[in-house]
Amino acid sequence: MLEQSAPVRLLLVDDEPALREPLAEYLSRQGFAVAQASSAAEARSLLKASLPELVLLDIMMPGEDGLSLCRHLADAHAIPTILLTAKGEAMDRIVGLEIGADDYVVKPFEPRELVARIRSVLRRAAKGGVAPGEDELFEFEGWHLDPLKRRLTDPEGAMVSISSAEFRLLMAFLEHPRKVLDRDRLLDMVQGREAHLFDRAIDNQISRLRRKVEVDSKNPTLIQTVWGGGYMLAADVRRVQANSA
Amino acid sequence: MKRLLGGIWPKSLQGQLLLAVALALMLAQGISAVLLYRAQVERREAALVHAAAIRLFAANREGGLGGRHPPGAEEAARQLKVEQLNQSPLTSGDERQDRAEHELQEILAGQGFATNGVVVFHRPMGEDPHLARRMARRTAALGEHAPPPPNELMVAAVELPAGGDWMVVRMPVPRPERGLLLTLIGQTLLLYALLFGAIALILRQITKPLKALTGRLERFAETRDADGQLEPEGPDDVRRLIVAHNAMEARLAALLDEKDVMLGAIGHDLKTPLAALRVRIESVEDESERAKMARTIEDITRSLDDILSLARVGRPSDPLEPAELGALVAQVGEEFEDMGEPVTFEIATRIVLPLRATWLRRAIRNLVVNALRYGKAARIELSRDRDQAVIRIEDDGPGIPEDQIARMLEPFTRGEPSRNSETGGAGLGLTLARAIADQHGGSLQLGNRRDASGNVVGLTATLRLPII
Repeated sequence: MLEQSAPVRLLLVDDEPALREPLAEYLSRQGFAVAQASSAAEARSLLKASLPELVLLDIMMPGEDGLSLCRHLADAHAIPTILLTAKGEAMDRIVGLEIGADDYVVKPFEPRELVARIRSVLRRAAKGGVAPGEDELFEFEGWHLDPLKRRLTDPEGAMVSISSAEFRLLMAFLEHPRKVLDRDRLLDMVQGREAHLFDRAIDNQISRLRRKVEVDSKNPTLIQTVWGGGYMLAADVRRVQANSA
Repeated sequence: MKRLLGGIWPKSLQGQLLLAVALALMLAQGISAVLLYRAQVERREAALVHAAAIRLFAANREGGLGGRHPPGAEEAARQLKVEQLNQSPLTSGDERQDRAEHELQEILAGQGFATNGVVVFHRPMGEDPHLARRMARRTAALGEHAPPPPNELMVAAVELPAGGDWMVVRMPVPRPERGLLLTLIGQTLLLYALLFGAIALILRQITKPLKALTGRLERFAETRDADGQLEPEGPDDVRRLIVAHNAMEARLAALLDEKDVMLGAIGHDLKTPLAALRVRIESVEDESERAKMARTIEDITRSLDDILSLARVGRPSDPLEPAELGALVAQVGEEFEDMGEPVTFEIATRIVLPLRATWLRRAIRNLVVNALRYGKAARIELSRDRDQAVIRIEDDGPGIPEDQIARMLEPFTRGEPSRNSETGGAGLGLTLARAIADQHGGSLQLGNRRDASGNVVGLTATLRLPII
């Protein structure tokens, strides 16, 4: 899918040349065409000349910061954005994703992981995006999943921690309720983002997810095994407004 | 005393002051009421003595001395209810009233009434033979309409100078006036209520700003937010206290803000070059060398995160939210499984409690990292012990010498004296885990596990969280 004739054009915005330059070099070696900007202002003038397919954006920069530029990118150009952040706390993540960033990595990140995420975001953008409506939650059997905050709550409202892999898997089920999804299909839908996590069989991820959402993970009722087929979410899914949940 | 009064002893300043004032007032009012009552009683006594003196005097003038009675003298004496006796009316049970005697003598002497001696005493009505006779006559005459006789008599007697004859008057002592006593009690209570109410109001005015200040302090300790400071009010001392407190609060808030900004800057300034380094090592050809470099960078990053987290762990801005502990523990266990680490976990029960998931995950992660570092393998176990959630992390390592266990929870302490890069870490992992346990109102304990023969077979870290 990514074997296009022209290399993917990226714009890397970071005020630290010590990081920006080697990273640009690394990404070029990975087959991307990388433009660099050392400030939000410079990025804006580059955007006027030509639009990249994806922007990598440092949050903490002197002058206009990354979050403000990110909002501009999402509003004015609809360009997918990945935030580079030194902060790793949940609040920052939520703020980043709510203002329109598609993903984020925490410094210092593993360069391969960044590449995996760039590919994953591009693939989603190519599919037209899965971006759910603002404040929209998935509801099934009393459970709620907030796709923006990646927050799963049980019928009593208690938060249930899930990993990114489990989140993607659950999203795949929620987008296709009561449909049998075979292993290859599931792998295809959730792979990419944390590719290294999926070196393990999809069954392993399924059993982990069951441990979190099933009353008795030995006798699953929500995520059922279909003989010879794969797995199926045996529940109706509704989309509800966040404030009504 | 305090323990005895534990139940009613007021704890607040206002309560204690009010109690003190109430007790003092009660004492003062009591004394004044008693004095007033005694003055009334004395006045009544004096009136009786005067009346008795007048009758004695009159009887003396009318009847002269015993034995030489002019005609009609008997009658006059009877009119005046003066009895003539040839002996003292005093019997063994009577108690003489010195003051009244003295007074009577003075009055009589002032009028030129010479006497050989004076006796005054009180006697219950029924015990006086003379009066009992008269009462019997009166009851016979009036039947049931006879007014109730007074309870008590004052008997005043003078011995006449010649012949040892005695003139005796009996004055009924009016029943103690119930009205008087009631008025007195009523007045006392009214005054008491007025004073007490006024003082309670004044005290409330004084202590109100103190209460507000206490509330403000508690709020500030929780939120560390300098907004919403109190206006100085109340008496001058309290006003100055509030001003001083506001200044201190502003200074604390500024320091805390400064600390957060500084930590953010340190984090940013160190993580960016680390990120640059992490990118640069991708060009190292030797794969095992590159893996080692990557691990070193990871170690530095983790230490940095621990330092930054430890400095921020008390920050109250992170909200608590109800979360399922089993899923959280499982998630941490799975992370380690994914990294191929020998970690197993067992979740016996579903426990929902309010927590800060990011922090708690970090605490468990640190304990597991510690178990893996020193104990080769880790077992995580979640169970419930009455009203506590218990997370146990066990390893099979050499444990910790008993005398060093407490020290292990101090910052920058590591199990091995050598700062060996193989075992790495800044030594903050356990400190941070304990700080996070504290932040959740729980506790972290370390203990050696022993086999039957008493040999240490591993270390158990026990993280307890209260289930609210």
